[in-house]
Amino acid sequence: MLLFRSEEMVNLWCRNWNLPRGAILSPATCWALAREWYRDRRDPKWRRRTVDEAHALFNQLGLTGDFWKLN
Amino acid sequence: MFEDSALRLLIYDEIVRTGETPAVSTLSRLVSATLDDVRASLRRMHDAHMLVLQPTGEILMANPFSAVPTPFVTEVGGRRWFGNCIWDSLGIIATLHADGRVLASCGTSGEAMELSVHGGVLTGEGIVHFALPAGRWWDNIVFN
Repeated sequence: MLLFRSEEMVNLWCRNWNLPRGAILSPATCWALAREWYRDRRDPKWRRRTVDEAHALFNQLGLTGDFWKLN
Repeated sequence: MFEDSALRLLIYDEIVRTGETPAVSTLSRLVSATLDDVRASLRRMHDAHMLVLQPTGEILMANPFSAVPTPFVTEVGGRRWFGNCIWDSLGIIATLHADGRVLASCGTSGEAMELSVHGGVLTGEGIVHFALPAGRWWDNIVFN
């Protein structure tokens, strides 16, 4: 997951790597995802999210569609 | 004997305390266990996608932290850690429950970029690209 200056830069990266364009997020959405994903990482009770829990978080942030399916 | 969960917490405590990811030998000393027992614990957590090991058996990623330098530097309270990607570099701020900033660069041009978080609110320019769909993230976690 990389940060780019512009969509043009993303398109160039995809061309350089010969990869289709993936998903574009705003920095604010990426922060919201990071905050929810990692806020409890140092909690002794931490456990990996189930697939359903991860999907619920993605949905909550508007990250929907096949791209965001973990299975 | 130690639990995997205790070793996991110890790894994060050491990263936060020292700024560096602990070596297997350091963990062995800290938990008073053999190198083989520590390696076995780390391998179980690697297989469970709780962390990522290098081919040598040392830790590569205790997400969101990277054990090796990357283009994603997170600065919190005047201290710095490396993140594995832009998601993880922001994740370090979340893990530390603090204000901070990410010093990164454009994935194509290399131009310096910065994102800041203050009071839970992010400021900064740019766009984030997830190249691989979620179902393939662990196919090649280092590339991802």
